Amino acid sequence: MSEFKVQHRDGEGVSVIDLRGYLDAHTAPDLENAFQKLLNEKKFNIVVNCKDLSYISSAGLGVFMAFIEDVRKNQGDIKLTNMSPKVYNVFDLLGFPILYEIYKDELEAVKKFGERR
Amino acid sequence: MSRLKNIIVILGSLLLLLSVFVYDVAERAVTIDIGGAAYIREAAVLAAFLLLYLYVRGSRIGKAVAIPKNIGKLLAYSLVVLFLTATIYFVTQSSANGEEASVGPRGAVGNLLSLLLAVSLGLFSITTLLTIKDLILRKRKKGTKRNFVIYLVLMICTNLSVLPLIPAEGNLVASILFPLALVLIVINSFKQNWIVYLSRREKIYSIVYGALLFVSFVGLNVFSKQTLIDRSLGMFNQPLQSFIQLNAMFGAVYFGMAFVTTLFHLPTADVFERKQSELTSLHNLSRLVTQVFDFNDLLNTVTNMTLEVVGAKSAWLELLKAPASNGEVRIDVVSLKNISPEQINAITVDSESSLRRLVMESKRALLIDDVSTDRRTRYIKKRGVDIGSLLSVPLVSHGELIGFLHATKDFQFGFDQDDIDVMTTFADHVTIAIENSKLIQKSLVRERYQQEMMVAQEMQRRLLPQRLPEHPFLQIAAVSEPSMEVGGDYFDFVKLDGDRFGVVVGDVSGKGVSAAFYMAEVKGIFQSLSKLCTSPRDLLVRANQALKDSLEKKAFISLLYGIIDLGQGKLTLARAGHCPLVYISGLAVELVRPTGIGLGLTNDALFEEVTQETTIDLKKDDVCIFYTDGINESRNGAGEEFGFDRLVQAALGARYLPAEQMKQIILAEIRNHTGDSSYGDDMTLVVIKWVGQSEVQ
Repeated sequence: MSEFKVQHRDGEGVSVIDLRGYLDAHTAPDLENAFQKLLNEKKFNIVVNCKDLSYISSAGLGVFMAFIEDVRKNQGDIKLTNMSPKVYNVFDLLGFPILYEIYKDELEAVKKFGERR
Repeated sequence: MSRLKNIIVILGSLLLLLSVFVYDVAERAVTIDIGGAAYIREAAVLAAFLLLYLYVRGSRIGKAVAIPKNIGKLLAYSLVVLFLTATIYFVTQSSANGEEASVGPRGAVGNLLSLLLAVSLGLFSITTLLTIKDLILRKRKKGTKRNFVIYLVLMICTNLSVLPLIPAEGNLVASILFPLALVLIVINSFKQNWIVYLSRREKIYSIVYGALLFVSFVGLNVFSKQTLIDRSLGMFNQPLQSFIQLNAMFGAVYFGMAFVTTLFHLPTADVFERKQSELTSLHNLSRLVTQVFDFNDLLNTVTNMTLEVVGAKSAWLELLKAPASNGEVRIDVVSLKNISPEQINAITVDSESSLRRLVMESKRALLIDDVSTDRRTRYIKKRGVDIGSLLSVPLVSHGELIGFLHATKDFQFGFDQDDIDVMTTFADHVTIAIENSKLIQKSLVRERYQQEMMVAQEMQRRLLPQRLPEHPFLQIAAVSEPSMEVGGDYFDFVKLDGDRFGVVVGDVSGKGVSAAFYMAEVKGIFQSLSKLCTSPRDLLVRANQALKDSLEKKAFISLLYGIIDLGQGKLTLARAGHCPLVYISGLAVELVRPTGIGLGLTNDALFEEVTQETTIDLKKDDVCIFYTDGINESRNGAGEEFGFDRLVQAALGARYLPAEQMKQIILAEIRNHTGDSSYGDDMTLVVIKWVGQSEVQ
């Protein structure tokens, strides 16, 4: 079981969060902290790269719900990218693709932020 | 000894003495020439005194009086005897006036005097001997008793050797036995162990008593030697005279020795006494360690015992509120004695060199011998608090400071090294007791929570269907297992108007208590809406409205709701972000997932827009499996999920079996997959098999 890890990169006015391992009730607070930090720094253009995310539970999904309202209120967005089919299925079952923009590739998401500006 | 026995003994001895007196008086008048009469007289005297001895010994038994009191009694007795002998001595000396020193009362009066002297001095000697015996045998060591018994034997032999009936060679025996008896007196006089265990006060009494007894015994020896007393006694009975003499010497030597010994023990009396009270206190505390159920009682006892242990004037106990990690320490005074909180504040709160900090840094005891002049504590006096000396020790548990124990005295240099040692040891005991007490409190609280959780579990179990509905067209099997005591899974059945029947399975995000509360809310909403809403989609839309405001941002609920029209054999299904329905018809398997989004994720408009409904025509032996993600996400030790495929395969394999057995087989497959690792998530499984109308007809 791979350890959960949150990494954060900045580039071209977009902040990227890299997720790794299992995102569940135990590790959700780590992601919450990462989002909170970005919001405190007034960084609202956020891309979450799920390339190395191997599992996400309902508690993990809840983290996105907790922040999306604030981010969008500030003309920002949370875009999700690089999901494995298994992780995408979990998002899909719950109807997340209706609520979030999900891209195959991180660059694509970053570009989307650029287009809007 | 019974009362009657006492009376008989006393009467017996009085009778014997009276006969002796009568005999003596008679002998003056007429010469009694009966063979052996003199022998009988001596025997009678000895027998009388033996009875007196028995009486005195008997009256002492069962009266374990404190030592100084015992000695005091003997002293009073000896002073009376001394006064008596001194009076006789001086009266006869002066009346004799040098010429005729041996003059004394004669005739019957002389005999009476002899008798009275013999009885009073005899009784006194017996009391002396018994008192000394008590003292010597109080703290027995090897040989203590033997030495005393040897003395007794020697004394008796010496006494008997001077019987006038034993001729000249008896004196030779006496001259050997007498010095031997003296040697034994000296040996026995070294047995003064009783003194050690006296308190300081008692020792002072003992010194005074010892000195006075010594003087009075010496006086007795002086006054009775070669005087009328001596002669009267000798005339009356020589063994008795010898007995009195020997015991007067024993008394003089023993109490002289006691006086000196006590004098030597006096300087250490304080220390000895304190050591004893320290021992008692520490012993009490170790007993207290096991009685830690009331925390406040424990804290009170700690300060009370601090006063005892080091003889302090005042004491107080402080405990750290939170661990001293960031340097900021909150300290609470939890118990105090003979000191006010304001005074404590004045003593401990100081910006420069806080006493607490000094103790904290060294993690050792801090002693201030003179508070008013010590550089570190001069400020205390300026603040109007007057203490002489101060001793502070840290309470350290597993290398971590948990508090302080302080003690003060009114005078300077009030504490010595012993006090520091004792306080430190005491502090260790206190720490253990406090830690134990805290652990007990914690485990009590935990136990209460556990009981509450058991209640919650039972309550939640009742929220789920207690009995499965029965209908000739349907077979239904269901199970729901929370991963913790309570969980967020939900399933329910509802009988609707017409010939319709509703089945719902839901899953609240997260686990445990918060999920359980939402689950209860969902049940309420479902039960009330299901009767109002004609279609599953309608119900989900209105449930989303109802839940949106009460759910916290990151919480959501997935629901799968189906209505079976029993008359038409149709299942209408709507899904709010829930796992798809596993629908098995013959060998065909379908994961039915009409579009839908979880409850509480979005506003009504979007929710209504995306949520769709689907309808299935049920054929005979079709199976519908409703479940929560705990089923397909059950993981084995390697982290591999049970998954949809295994679920489908298990269901397919059991498609000819009744619903209940299919449920059992699926559960068995899951257990087979997960192995020993326990269920990770709440798990719910509902299997519905359509038997259909044809079968019934």
